[in-house]
Amino acid sequence: MVGLVGGGGWRVGDDAAGGGGGGAVAAGAAAAAEAEHMRRLHSHAPGEHQCSSALVKHIKAPVHLVWSLVRSFDQPQRYKPFVSRCVVRGGDLEIGSVREVNVKTGLPATTSTERLELLDDDEHILSVKFVGGDHRLRNYSSIVTVHPESIDGRPGTLVIESFVVDVPDGNTKDETCYFVEAVIKCNLTSLAEVSERLAVQSPTSPLEQ
Amino acid sequence: MAEICCEEAMSPPATATAAVAAAVSASAAAAVSSAIDRRRRRMEMRRIRIASDLELQAGEDGRPGKRQRLARTASGAPRPDEDSASERPSCGRTEEFPRYGVTAVCGRRREMEDAVSIRPDFLPASGKFHFYGVFDGHGCSHVATTCQDRMHEIVAEEHNKGASGEVAPWRDVMEKSFARMDGEVGNRASTRSDDEPACPCEQQTPSRRDHAGSTAVVAVVSPTQVVVANAGDSRAVISRAGVPVALSVDHKPDRPDELERIEAAGGRVIYWDGARVLGVLAMSRAIGDGYLKPYVTSEPEVTVTERTDDDECLILASDGLWDVVTNEMACEVVRACFHNNGPPAPAARPSGVPSSAEAAETENGGAASVKGISKAESSDKACSDAAMLLTKLALARRSADNVSVVVVDLRRGL
Repeated sequence: MVGLVGGGGWRVGDDAAGGGGGGAVAAGAAAAAEAEHMRRLHSHAPGEHQCSSALVKHIKAPVHLVWSLVRSFDQPQRYKPFVSRCVVRGGDLEIGSVREVNVKTGLPATTSTERLELLDDDEHILSVKFVGGDHRLRNYSSIVTVHPESIDGRPGTLVIESFVVDVPDGNTKDETCYFVEAVIKCNLTSLAEVSERLAVQSPTSPLEQ
Repeated sequence: MAEICCEEAMSPPATATAAVAAAVSASAAAAVSSAIDRRRRRMEMRRIRIASDLELQAGEDGRPGKRQRLARTASGAPRPDEDSASERPSCGRTEEFPRYGVTAVCGRRREMEDAVSIRPDFLPASGKFHFYGVFDGHGCSHVATTCQDRMHEIVAEEHNKGASGEVAPWRDVMEKSFARMDGEVGNRASTRSDDEPACPCEQQTPSRRDHAGSTAVVAVVSPTQVVVANAGDSRAVISRAGVPVALSVDHKPDRPDELERIEAAGGRVIYWDGARVLGVLAMSRAIGDGYLKPYVTSEPEVTVTERTDDDECLILASDGLWDVVTNEMACEVVRACFHNNGPPAPAARPSGVPSSAEAAETENGGAASVKGISKAESSDKACSDAAMLLTKLALARRSADNVSVVVVDLRRGL
């Protein structure tokens, strides 16, 4: 159900599954906006033994709702389906804060230690780096940005998540990207469900942001 | 050795345990190779015991979920009242009264996500059919516990749908049952009402329920057949004339036919800490896991095996056992326990084997690791010894997972 099947609509500029309707011109404009966000905010410089990619998700919920979920570095379990528990060391949330994430069973990890690199409430940018854990993602760094957009004439949100990571021994760049993308797709799909549910549940929220 | 499981879990009397352990150390020599190893193992087990005690305290601290970690052992045999019934076929005892033993422990894991279901005589209108199921959950325990509560009921309903008088087509029954079970798990994910008990894994969205699943290995034992349906990497094995015969083949993503099926559906298997569907899940079939459909399917593989006079035992277990104990070794351990206990006495109701089925049933308001057997039933000592010993063996061999073992005595004409 969660949209891992098919694969359409996740890539930047692949806007067929985007705003839903609006015609080719609007889709073209949306794609151009995505490309601009990408260029400005998601430029990784992967090394030779690294891979990098970016995924997009269009969410039918206002940007402040989506951002409130994305920005909660101390509570990724609010939307990430594979996180069972999260504790921030020291308690205070600031740039450089480190969170200890427990991962649910059945996955190729049980813990991950992650540092907050950037949290920009004006531009809506969150950047996180993995600094430890029993997973195979070394030097993993991610950037999530959220942007207001109009979906079927209603306030919606464009989410872009990009990453760069070392390709581990025994895997190809393609495999590494495929795996990380699969996990990010799950996270973004869940982010959309939680946000859209919140949007329905809070009719008092302003229609426009 | 009893200390590996918490004390509420029943344990055979020390002498019997020692005797069985001796038999095992002779027959399964790989497990118990030297005095030094034994000592080290005892130390490890002691450590586990300490952990269990701590968990017990944690459970009493008002966090009921933690109690699931505790080991539970229960087993069943004739009910006392049936026990005294006079008409008992001279060689049909196994059929009338199933002899089985079961152990389920959390082991080194933080959470207990295995669930076992034992439902003797679960098709009373159709003859003597006994249901055994082992469900190894991942992501959360709710899929495994739902299977534990519902699978036997669904199988019974599907079986009874068959035209009267006809032999039940077990393959169809099992395939439909697994599909229905999977549907119920999925439906509950999207339709759960707020007054139903919430699972720890769901906070704001039903989608989280969709990111959990469970293996299912189910055996229906009748006087003439053993029907096994499997999805996932739990396993059923029988011992026949001293030779182990696997009645299920684990659904691993790199099994050639499974790999082909997954790729044909548009998915990929990536070696990421073992072969995994999309690099994520290390099994190719399961109940639940809606987010990985259609790559991960709930469709079971079904085997129907005619019983023979050479059959000794049926073992169902989660991969917590099979990861560290071979089919051969497991069957040897069971046979050693059988040998050690002698032929089961008619209406075997061993004295001195406390039944912890009561604890298993009432613990946790119904969230027990083992369900389906009431406190009225007591143990079959040989099967209980075997299940317990296999579990200990798995822990001693450093199984990292929950370990659940069901041992069913298939011997006839004793």
